[in-house]
Amino acid sequence: MNLGTRKLLDRSFTALGFGSIVIMGLALLVVLAPIASKGIGAIVFQGTIEHRKMLLSEFGRGDAEKISKEEASAKEARQKVFDMLATFDQELEQMDFDRQSKYRNSYEQVKSALRGLYGPLPGDTEPALMRFQYGQTRWDKAEEKLHELLYEQKWDYSNPDVIAKPYDVSRAAEFEGTSLVKLFSYVEENLDRMMLPEWTIYWGFITDSSIDAHFFGGIWPEIQGTIFLAIGAMLFAFPLGVIAAIYFTEYARDGFLTSMLRSANSTLAGVPSIVFGLFGLAFFINTMHVSHSKSVLAGSLTLAIMVLPTIIRAAEEAILAVPKTYKEASLSLGSTKWNTIVTVILPAALPGILTGGVISLGRAAGETAPIIFTAAVSVGTAIGIGDVLSSPTPALSWNIYNLASEHEAAAEIRHVQYGMVLSLVTIVLLLNLSAIILRARISKKLKG
Amino acid sequence: MNGEVTSNQARSSAFVVSEKKRKIQKFKQKTGEGALLLIASFVAIVVLFIFLFVARDAIPFFQIRGFGEFFGSSNWYPADDPPEFGALAIIYGSVMVTAGSALLAVPMGVIASICLSDILPFSVRQYVKPVIEMLAAIPSVAFGFFALVVFAPLLQNHGGPILMWTWWIVAAPFLVIAVIVAAELLTSSITSESAKRNASIATGMVLGAISLGFLYFVGNQLQHITIMSGTNALNVSIILSFMALPTIVSVSEDALQAVGRELREGSYALGATRAETIVKTILPAASSGILAAVILGIMRALGETMVVWMASGNSSAIPDPFYNYLDSVRTLTATIAGDMGEADQVTGSARFHVLFAMGLLLLIVSFVSNLISERIVVRQRKILSGQ
Amino acid sequence: MPMALEATGMKKKSNDSAVLDIYLPPERKKIEGGGKPHVVAKNFSIYYGEFEAVKKVNADILSKYVTAIIGPSGCGKSTFLRAINRMNDLIPNCHTTGALMFDGEDVYGKFTDEVLLRKKIGMVFQKPNPFPKSIFDNIAYGPRLHGVKDRKTLEGIVEQSLRKAALWDEVSDRLDKNALGLSGGQQQRLCVARTLAVEPEILLLDEPTSALDPKATAKIEDLIQELRGSYTIMIVTHNMQQASRVSDYTMFFYEGVLVEHAPTAELFTRPKDKMTEDYITGRFS
Repeated sequence: MNLGTRKLLDRSFTALGFGSIVIMGLALLVVLAPIASKGIGAIVFQGTIEHRKMLLSEFGRGDAEKISKEEASAKEARQKVFDMLATFDQELEQMDFDRQSKYRNSYEQVKSALRGLYGPLPGDTEPALMRFQYGQTRWDKAEEKLHELLYEQKWDYSNPDVIAKPYDVSRAAEFEGTSLVKLFSYVEENLDRMMLPEWTIYWGFITDSSIDAHFFGGIWPEIQGTIFLAIGAMLFAFPLGVIAAIYFTEYARDGFLTSMLRSANSTLAGVPSIVFGLFGLAFFINTMHVSHSKSVLAGSLTLAIMVLPTIIRAAEEAILAVPKTYKEASLSLGSTKWNTIVTVILPAALPGILTGGVISLGRAAGETAPIIFTAAVSVGTAIGIGDVLSSPTPALSWNIYNLASEHEAAAEIRHVQYGMVLSLVTIVLLLNLSAIILRARISKKLKG
Repeated sequence: MNGEVTSNQARSSAFVVSEKKRKIQKFKQKTGEGALLLIASFVAIVVLFIFLFVARDAIPFFQIRGFGEFFGSSNWYPADDPPEFGALAIIYGSVMVTAGSALLAVPMGVIASICLSDILPFSVRQYVKPVIEMLAAIPSVAFGFFALVVFAPLLQNHGGPILMWTWWIVAAPFLVIAVIVAAELLTSSITSESAKRNASIATGMVLGAISLGFLYFVGNQLQHITIMSGTNALNVSIILSFMALPTIVSVSEDALQAVGRELREGSYALGATRAETIVKTILPAASSGILAAVILGIMRALGETMVVWMASGNSSAIPDPFYNYLDSVRTLTATIAGDMGEADQVTGSARFHVLFAMGLLLLIVSFVSNLISERIVVRQRKILSGQ
Repeated sequence: MPMALEATGMKKKSNDSAVLDIYLPPERKKIEGGGKPHVVAKNFSIYYGEFEAVKKVNADILSKYVTAIIGPSGCGKSTFLRAINRMNDLIPNCHTTGALMFDGEDVYGKFTDEVLLRKKIGMVFQKPNPFPKSIFDNIAYGPRLHGVKDRKTLEGIVEQSLRKAALWDEVSDRLDKNALGLSGGQQQRLCVARTLAVEPEILLLDEPTSALDPKATAKIEDLIQELRGSYTIMIVTHNMQQASRVSDYTMFFYEGVLVEHAPTAELFTRPKDKMTEDYITGRFS
């Protein structure tokens, strides 16, 4: 091969390397960007009058006078729609059966879309579920509902070789020639008057508890559960891990026992997270009976076992990084070994040990599989600190899964799911970021 | 001066203590050390207990149903009467998504780690490492959510064009380089400089046209693929590869760093380019460490639960044909997570125990591969330190 | 080639540890109450595993005087020094044979409490190694270990120790500042002060100036002169000028063997051993 080709190959190899790194960066970006942009939408969004009404009556927040004024003006705008419905009801009564059945179905869809916008229509019975008692609280969702009102979605089955595609049919055309036809253009033009959108920053998303399976309200029970579980795990794992690291670095002699213990440590680090969940169920709950069924305690213990190897490794590294001269100085002053460890080595290794601890805290907060069988419940209210020994708790990681995959109206509450994911990712990444900063500081300090 | 100093003088000296006191001291030391050892062996005890307790609940299943059905049948109907517990399709699903993610993550991860250890300057490396750490830190449920809510609809609605563009972006540069190298190699026997030049350009043109046609043909095929469901093995494999990447990159970077500077300098001094040095000298020296990294990365993908549970489609049938990554699959981890809710936890039916059997299977696989990777790392360290 | 010849000469010398006359040049005063054998090595060997790093040393280190230990690197001089307060215990599979006596008791005896021993025999290391704590806490570390809790007493000890180490005037106004903020020379004197605070009888200095600039080195040497007479001082150095400047006695080690042990002035002017002569005249190092 001539030199030119060799150089070309060399350059393309370099490009390949850069490419891989860029792909890794892009992967991070591609995953985080939608989570961040849509997750913020759970807190900052255009809230409608329904949102303010809900806040006032459920949480007692907001200016009651202003809201009732707004409500009155929205009601005035909506009244015309209700009148149109009443007119069409009468018109429908007078139609012959064929025409009636032609419109009946679509009319029901129109009404249901309107209920989605305004809440219960006049003449409806008071709905039992909270989610039907209010109209659309978010303007972006209201616009979706408007689309649902204006167009009927139909499926195109004409070509059997490809998957059926949906297409829109205008309802205005469908109701051509009836009194209802005016309704569509009216709602389209006056939607903002009826909903009164207003930019809102809803911090309550973080601090409020949820209402009606996360249709309204916030995610505080989940955040609190995550905090309880993660901190509980650290309470067990951190002291144990640090002491084990002290043993490995300061006392262990090379030999079969030590190499076996180290081997056990890396085995534990490689156990799949779901197996921790199985173990937690079989051991802590079914055998040790630490609690009657799932509980924060059982979940914390399971998570503690999971993060233990990480803590031990980080603490070992931190202790080994302490200059040997500190130890010599202390011993030469007549200090005992244990005293030297406590007064000199541990303080010097503390930042490094804490870095490992913080990363493990993030890991414990983010894991789902170990708590599925040991601690997590899908719906529920925040538990008190006194209940941690016996009650299960909702937790961010589990409820993200649950809301996205098992909730009966998962597509309706995407913003809540995004908000939860963003909260969890923020908690975990902030912890990791602080660990990175902490470590950068240590290395700076060690360089002098 | 007389040097008559004997050790059996009165033990009044400041640093010599009585026998009893010394014994107490020794005893205290030993008990302290013993207590530390006890805490340090907690991890080993936990590992032992994990095996014990998972096995304890797994064995009843094999006692009732035997091994044949579990490993030999792909009929997974645990809720039927009579139930069937054929886990073959599920095991295959695990293997499939793990292999898929390895196929993507291993080359990318190894190349990225090479780039990190040998190509990037230190100043850039500082910023790349936190990116890798952040990728490793993102909770699996967040990846799962992304796979389910963002990626799956994207694949379902625009699968064909996405596949086509990926094919062009990935394959085109490789083919360009391959064509140039092939043209050069084919004409290397011609002696005259100018004739060689012309011949190599002509060959390059011909080969280039052929490969362009090939690119276009495959791209066109891909564009017309319709993906029935976005929650499939391909989706999961891609996301799992993101999750396995950080492990592979950081562990194999350590292995590459462990290869000394002398080896690199020796190769450069012989006139090798950087790529040649890396491929011919450094990679072979670090190969066992990289292998260990690959094993660990694969284990990460195999043991992952949330992503596969949320985005694999959870259909317990072997795809048709068996390499069809656009089909839904179901994995061991997802089955354990998903079926435990329906299984009778208290009295422990076969349905409950079969999940532990799956857990035991995962546990054994992870244990064995962990041992292997540990051995490999130890061996490499010995070789490098010249023992 | 001369090595083999000298090795035989060496053997003859090393076993000959006669009582040393106190030969002092006029500027070095004789010390009242000093000159007793303080540390005594009898056929004392140190092994790292199989390797004999220090070979059958016989020597008397005299109290209150300064003894320098010189020799080429790897000759066992540091190992010997560190054996005296059992710092070698930190090295796995390091063991000793023969006897090493301090105050008439076996340092490696069955009933020796190495913690109490190290309190009596302080050590200062090659690189200044203050703890990452305040100056005050560095000095008070030892006394606190040994049970001094009263703040007033501690303050007294700290001041006294810093004065002895000639550091008080430089740091008295910033005792609560981190010790790592001091200069290298100051850090090393701080380490001396820290050692003095536990009131040792012997001060072991392991190449205490090798990491310092000439100015700081001079200060440390001055300090050693100050402390001479109050403590038995042993200093390992690779700098022969330093040995001749600060010490009363000098021990020359070569490949683990104590080749010559004599009053400094004598050893440097009239070495008895050919090997010593070659070394001090710089023919090998």
